[in-house]
Amino acid sequence: MEQSVFGLQAKIMREYYKDFSKYAKGRAPERKVAWVTAFTPIEILEALDISYYYPESYAAVIAASEKEQDMLDRSALLDMSRDCCSYSCCFNGCLDAGGGPRGVPPKPDVLIATNNQCNTLPGWWNLLADKYDVPLIVLDYPGEAVDPVNAFNYVNAQHLRLISELEKLSGNILDESKLAANIDASVRSVNAWNRVISFLSSKEVKATTLFDDINFLITARCKPDTSELYTLMADEIRDVPDAADDGIPLFWLGYPLWYHKDRYLSELLDGFRITGSNYITWWSLDYSGNSPYEQLFSAYNYTFLNLSQAGRDRRLSGLIRESGARCAVVLHNKSCKCDFVSARNVGIPQAEIEIDMIDRNYLNIDRAKAQLALLKETVCSE
Amino acid sequence: MNILSLSGFVPEAICDTVRFTGYTGERNIAHYCGYTADYISQVMNDHDIDGAVFPKTCDSTRTLMSYLSGSGKFCFQFVPPSDGTPSGVEFYANQIRTYKRSVEAFYGITLGDIPERMEMVNERNKLILGAYERLSSLSYFEYLSAIHGMLKLPLKEQKTFGKAGPLSPQKRIDMTGQRSATKEKRVFIVGSFLSCLQIAKDVEAAGLNVAGDSLPESGRLVSARPMDPEGDPYLEIAAHILSMRHSPTQNSFRGLISRDISEIEEKNVNGVIFVIQKYCEPYEYLYPVYKKELDKRGISSVKISPDHSEDRAKAVLLLEAFADKLQEG
Repeated sequence: MEQSVFGLQAKIMREYYKDFSKYAKGRAPERKVAWVTAFTPIEILEALDISYYYPESYAAVIAASEKEQDMLDRSALLDMSRDCCSYSCCFNGCLDAGGGPRGVPPKPDVLIATNNQCNTLPGWWNLLADKYDVPLIVLDYPGEAVDPVNAFNYVNAQHLRLISELEKLSGNILDESKLAANIDASVRSVNAWNRVISFLSSKEVKATTLFDDINFLITARCKPDTSELYTLMADEIRDVPDAADDGIPLFWLGYPLWYHKDRYLSELLDGFRITGSNYITWWSLDYSGNSPYEQLFSAYNYTFLNLSQAGRDRRLSGLIRESGARCAVVLHNKSCKCDFVSARNVGIPQAEIEIDMIDRNYLNIDRAKAQLALLKETVCSE
Repeated sequence: MNILSLSGFVPEAICDTVRFTGYTGERNIAHYCGYTADYISQVMNDHDIDGAVFPKTCDSTRTLMSYLSGSGKFCFQFVPPSDGTPSGVEFYANQIRTYKRSVEAFYGITLGDIPERMEMVNERNKLILGAYERLSSLSYFEYLSAIHGMLKLPLKEQKTFGKAGPLSPQKRIDMTGQRSATKEKRVFIVGSFLSCLQIAKDVEAAGLNVAGDSLPESGRLVSARPMDPEGDPYLEIAAHILSMRHSPTQNSFRGLISRDISEIEEKNVNGVIFVIQKYCEPYEYLYPVYKKELDKRGISSVKISPDHSEDRAKAVLLLEAFADKLQEG
């Protein structure tokens, strides 16, 4: 049967959510369960037949369902500081409440956290380990701060330990050909997604679509359906009309606002058009290398937020140039300090907005309005 | 050479650094912890400082190189491994080797006295350990002041408690005239480097007796195993640093809390004071897990959140109320 974008999206989502409490209705998952952070080498888990779930993504779903304030309030009762990442406060509040829009993910058998996007996640995962009393594995990725040979040896030793631990947990033995096939599938997904996002600057496509649809690359990048989905999406977008040339091209530098219906401040961006975003490129991982282990190292050690400032500058300047943006909205995100510094050397006019990607109350809308008006004036008077 | 160092993860046996203890100049506070923001400010503004060495251990320190790499000063960032496994020790040792080469290249010097410096670190730590072991009979403020003073000196001068002189028995700095320390108010302090020493004074003024702590300059420092100057210097230094009582940045809350609780119980502590810089996420995440363990054991706790490295605005009130609570308990 011929696949459609909608059909594939529904299939992947159904597979992902089927063991959430709302749908499982007490049925135990068939496979061992890991809760992972967004840049975990899930190709390994997939090869060992372990299910994996993303608390960060679920926090975004909770905010999109307008439930985040209740969850954030609950987290304060758990002695969590509201200064902590809102993803963690929102998700832990949801666990305390016993359910979110789709219930809660199946209980973990293991927790896996990485620090290749920030150092907050291992702290959060420690809280989860305390709650569920299950093993916690932290993968330490030094990024560009350490020379590649030293970094590879260190990271590879951890990947091998991870495999060993997960083999014990699952009772399965890693088949390296499966691992290689999963990495190939991830590469195909990344390539197809890169084709999708390449149309943002030229076609009549809303940033909202891309902010939402990157979810498949985050949660299911090594599943073959994902590359197929993105290939179909790219073909569809290729055929939509070119974007009207009537808005100031703008680069959205930061997270989508998950609580917002459009995922960005659409009501304040009249006269602008989003033509680029760094967030939608974060999972465009570079799986280069001569073996599966080199590929995993390359992909997960050199994630965008684990690059040096010079590395980020290079990546961002390329993205901004390709987008044709004349200005940028930079999110000074309460929950992600690491991303904010990415914008230090952006060479176009920018409005820096104090905001949070989950907590809708963390925004002075009048101030943001004034900042964007000033940005427009600055660009128009150039 | 005046390299300002941040954190106990910086190897002291390679070369002298000036330990960052606090900053009183112009500040630029954002969402980063005030301690880190103040470190940036000092490196940028202090003309006597010509270098910076710091770890990548939390979201605030992750950003340091972005701010400092354009300063024209020597900059080096360590990435401490999250545990002390052999591959982690080797990984850290390789970084320490690179650090030495980088210092030598930047300053045009040769660093050749590492074994001697390892001995000096061992001796200095032994000195501090001696004081730590009788902490409850000393003035905590004087004890910490002496350490902070030492850590700013060249290593070869870190042989005595310096200007603070011999540590006096714990003084009761009684600001209200009514409070006095009792055996029942034995406390343990948890937190990162206690840059605002006045808080230590406030603790004593509230009549609290500090029996132990997990601070990097005190309880953690003295927990390091000594280095063997005859061994491979880089592996020895790495293993020495990684042998310390864990920081929450090393991602094992269970191990950290279990070790602290052992000491807390052994010393009959009945109150724990958390001093957590605002926006210090490693300690913010540690706090609920740690507090739960204390609650289970009926041990009271209080949390102080300074805004920056010298802030103590809310400390006095919180500590006085905490002392009253312990008295009632």
